[in-house]
Amino acid sequence: MSSPPAVAVATVAAVAVDAGALPLGGGLLALLRPALMRLEPGGVLALLSSSKTTAEDLPAWCRLERHEYLGSASLSDGRQQHLIRRGPHGVLAPRFDGAASAPAAAGEPRPSGSPPRTRDLAAQVPPPAYADPDSGFAPRGASVEPGGPPYPFTLLDRDRAMPPETSDLYEQAVAAQWDPGRDIPWQKAGQLPPALAQALAQVMTFLAENELSALYVPSRFVARLHPAYAEVAMLLAAQLADEARHIDVFLKRAALLGVGLGVSSATTALSLRTLLAYDDFVEASFMLSVLGEGTFLDLLRFVEDHAPDEATAEIARRARADEARHVRFGLCHVRHALAADPTLAMRLEQAVRRRAAVMSGGGIPAPVQDAFTILAARGDHPADVARGHDAFRALLETMQQNRQRRLAAAGFSNEQAAHLSALHTPNFM
Amino acid sequence: MAESTILIGAVAYDPKVVTIWEGMRAHFGTVGVPMDFALFSNYERQVEALLAGHIDIAWNTPLAHVRVKRRTRGAAPALGMRDSDRDFHSKIVVRKSAGIRSLPELSGRRLAVGTRDSTQARILPLHFLRAAGVDPSAVEILEFNSDPGKHGDTGASELDVLRALAEGRADAGTVGDLVWVSELAAGRVPVGELEVLWTTPGFDHCMFDGRLGLDATARDTFIRALMSMDWEIPAHRRVLELEGLRRWLPPREEGYRSLERALDEENAW
Repeated sequence: MSSPPAVAVATVAAVAVDAGALPLGGGLLALLRPALMRLEPGGVLALLSSSKTTAEDLPAWCRLERHEYLGSASLSDGRQQHLIRRGPHGVLAPRFDGAASAPAAAGEPRPSGSPPRTRDLAAQVPPPAYADPDSGFAPRGASVEPGGPPYPFTLLDRDRAMPPETSDLYEQAVAAQWDPGRDIPWQKAGQLPPALAQALAQVMTFLAENELSALYVPSRFVARLHPAYAEVAMLLAAQLADEARHIDVFLKRAALLGVGLGVSSATTALSLRTLLAYDDFVEASFMLSVLGEGTFLDLLRFVEDHAPDEATAEIARRARADEARHVRFGLCHVRHALAADPTLAMRLEQAVRRRAAVMSGGGIPAPVQDAFTILAARGDHPADVARGHDAFRALLETMQQNRQRRLAAAGFSNEQAAHLSALHTPNFM
Repeated sequence: MAESTILIGAVAYDPKVVTIWEGMRAHFGTVGVPMDFALFSNYERQVEALLAGHIDIAWNTPLAHVRVKRRTRGAAPALGMRDSDRDFHSKIVVRKSAGIRSLPELSGRRLAVGTRDSTQARILPLHFLRAAGVDPSAVEILEFNSDPGKHGDTGASELDVLRALAEGRADAGTVGDLVWVSELAAGRVPVGELEVLWTTPGFDHCMFDGRLGLDATARDTFIRALMSMDWEIPAHRRVLELEGLRRWLPPREEGYRSLERALDEENAW
């Protein structure tokens, strides 16, 4: 009964929507709103409707949404044609020119039927060099409506946050998850003589303590990463799941020994405490993953080689495979950041120095050294212990060499690598 | 507080009013206009405070605005309004099953109306119905005085009207067009059962009113700071969205004539 203005004949609609008999509150908007959002502001849309209430409701809706209701005209078939000029607000809907256009951007075509790869996502919508702090949790590539609140993410640049290998490492991490209940031959964790049992309990205590630090240190960076680099947060989440599993199996192995846990030394506590102090993601990655977890690989290989039973050997082997991925991410992360910022090498060296400055130089905690020696000796018979001692000395040498090799792989010169390796405390992590 | 601080009154009809005015004050601060606000629990007290000069400017409903105009013989300056305050309408919504096809058929039926001091949910729809020839004394009125003193700001009585209609406790009801269409758009209206019978002529809604004697400098700085708010600036947008506007507009008076006539008719000044 209200009288909408007559539509000027000259007004030409760019697009027409046939809403049938749908009322505005009964589904019409699901057709109208997306069609309007595909128009540029100022564009005109024609809505064809046989719903009698639309003439009453449409002008008020246009007022609410700041579109301009231009009026209506009756068509010969009894329907009404309403004209609407799209207002200035709202996000322009993404345009698709055809179903094939999006995947084509990924580069190599995917064989039909094969699962999509995480790297394809980064190829289709590459991570930006700098992330927009106001885009919140919007997935990369979404059309972000302006006006959202600022978010407290602080890792906003790609060079410090996301090396190019991240997507592949994430997929590998997910594919390599294992189940301690199924994958460890616990029935082969037999009884051990007291000296060897106590040594293994001490080793498991030390491993669990180190892995607790590896659970906590990266977790601090997950919430700081801008979601434009979500794959890094996802990869860290997979790594955290690895660490949780390692802590669990190390403590289970110790519990089966029936001799309690070993000692947590103040030296270890101090060493691990320093890892919590790094506020820079690259520094933390360098200290934890390249130096700490890198050294941990040699340690786990040692445990595997000298394991008194198959359960222990399998635990060490599986943990080492996981840790190798963590080290790989650390190496890629540091190498990529170093290539983008040559001054970073100096800062990383300072990080190692700062850490060395608070460590007393006391070397490996005595209970841990003794436990490794007894483990390699397979017991406490003096003749065997001599062999164990030699094996432990060889471990230290292996660690030093491999550390230098990893530092070189991270992008340091041989000279820098030797220097940094010597500075790094032999406290493993 | 510095003497140049502009003190604005607003009615606390919802907890978000604090967020809105803290945001407004922050914006005024960034453009160098010292401003503070005082919150009232109802518009009657806010109008008295403005007339007594206790506050410099009041953010008023249409009912509060025309009362200020009347009591100052039009001398209190109107300063600005929301884009959404222009061309408001009310809707007469009916239950389809009631079979009401025209306004005269409201006679003898039950009409749900909003709070007695709500311009859009009661005063103007009844006024426009009278003007269209419907005798309100021939209609059974079901009142929802859900938020007296707030002049219908909460929208609570309009939702009560819609609920009464949906539940069959009334044959027809009066609501503002923004509440109606917002509920429709959100999918909360049983469209198989309810529909709009009639849309009233347009009218205007809220207004910033200045006190008598507000000096020209304060008035102009206030208007400048207000009009500099921009939907495209996220910090502004958060405030504008809560207050229900996209941009501030200059005042206009002709949109209040129907309300003045309605108050004359009902002797409700």
